[in-house]
Amino acid sequence: MRPELRLVIAGRPGHRAVPVPLLGCTVRYRAADRLRIAGPRPDDLAGHLDRYGHRPSSLGRDGSDLVATLDAAALTGRGGAHFPAVAKWRAVLAAGAGGYVVANAAEGEPASAKDTALLHHRPHLILDGLAAAAEALAAVASVLWLHDTAWDARLAVNQALAERRAAGLVEPPVRVLSGPEHYLTGESSAVLDGIAGGPALPAFRRVPAAHAGLDGRPTLVQNVETLARVALLARTGADATLPGPLVTVAAGGVLTVCEPPPHVTLGGLLWHTGLLGPGARPPQAVLLGGYGGAWASWPSAADRTLGQLDGRRPAPGSRLAPGTYPASALPSLGAGVVAPLPSDACGLAETAAVLGYLARSSARQCGPCVFGTRELAGTVTRLAAGRARRAEVRRLDQLIGEVDGRGACALPDGAARLARTALTVFDADVDQHLNGRCLHRGTGPALPIPGGTG
Amino acid sequence: MRDRREPAEPARLRVDPVACDGIGMCAHLAPGLIVLDHWGYPIVTSAPSRRAGMRAAHAAMAGCPRRALLLEAAYQPR
Repeated sequence: MRPELRLVIAGRPGHRAVPVPLLGCTVRYRAADRLRIAGPRPDDLAGHLDRYGHRPSSLGRDGSDLVATLDAAALTGRGGAHFPAVAKWRAVLAAGAGGYVVANAAEGEPASAKDTALLHHRPHLILDGLAAAAEALAAVASVLWLHDTAWDARLAVNQALAERRAAGLVEPPVRVLSGPEHYLTGESSAVLDGIAGGPALPAFRRVPAAHAGLDGRPTLVQNVETLARVALLARTGADATLPGPLVTVAAGGVLTVCEPPPHVTLGGLLWHTGLLGPGARPPQAVLLGGYGGAWASWPSAADRTLGQLDGRRPAPGSRLAPGTYPASALPSLGAGVVAPLPSDACGLAETAAVLGYLARSSARQCGPCVFGTRELAGTVTRLAAGRARRAEVRRLDQLIGEVDGRGACALPDGAARLARTALTVFDADVDQHLNGRCLHRGTGPALPIPGGTG
Repeated sequence: MRDRREPAEPARLRVDPVACDGIGMCAHLAPGLIVLDHWGYPIVTSAPSRRAGMRAAHAAMAGCPRRALLLEAAYQPR
């Protein structure tokens, strides 16, 4: 530990002219077990302070300034839903002081590793954002929520916390807690259930967590990338050039996390990750937003920029009330997942595998999800195998409508979106499969499915 | 923390999908507001607008053995 860090308390805003990167590097993970294959050395506290400077205080007036900054920057939740952060923060502020702030790092999405990469490489930025949120919202304590199996991430966070204590940083206490490794463990109501000692399953909330969450106190649950962005915004203000979305490209059993500028197209992104170029055949389609996301045919998506696809955002300069950012007609990047479908893979077989995974991941609490998601997965699986009856396939539209929006969490909505877009993008394949033929003879599943395609 | 006052209109009928077991009483008690899906779980088709609608909505809420229906205005913190 460097001795000059011992007396450091929260500093003043460091004004930086150049855009500061969030991750600023490319990290690769093996999709099967999230083993880190390639990436630079993670930040320690000294490296973090060199790169970003000290975290400005967010107490009192500075806290209200920070909330105004989040609004001006139109920061949305990076866990995938892109809910306006400032709407949650204002709801917590309206509910009063003495609540909790939860940093959600339970990344259940099998095709995303951006939160893992941030935890490994920028733990101090996440903890800065957590402390800023706790100060601005006058919270009594904060929690960092992880998967039980994320031992490396837990080590990185605990080391970072120890460094901060040794350096004498004054900030609200942080507890590191974890829940079972499951698709739904990071769903916000499941996070609160898990922290309260429950089985970490989604709940139907009659009152928003912002008003009465943990212990019945106002609670903010925010994804770790969102909090890392809060830490940057607290330093730079909303006028600075903000870093582009963190994106995970899932292809060939490898998850590549990178931070492309927002003007990069999907084609450019795949070229950067080595999936497109001379000699490489372009993908036939791309899955955007994760396993509850949307398929888009490659010709329609290749020229879209990441900025266009990155969730909901008000037009620059528009003054909209929080929560009314216009929804874009384009598919959303969600939690930043881009999964290209190789030209020789069968889109219906991939969709069936993902729907099967979603059906197995259901918490089995809500009837329409228990029966509907399972039926959806079963029908698409039979279709992919060329064994579906025409009547079954005709019923799919109605089935999708009966699943969409019918659960306590968004799992059935995601399954419905995936199935609906698959039927549109792969309509030629549907016709062929009804006749027992498949246009593509791939070499097994292209998308990583935890626990196999069972 | 149940709010015992009459909800301000326009109220919205909601189903707690975790509590709901698909018994189907609500569709009998409020046929104009609720239909059942393929598996017998309720789908709210319209908001209770007039007095008769509100009466049916209250009957469905009271008649649900799982107490899975709720009538709510947009949640306003006080």
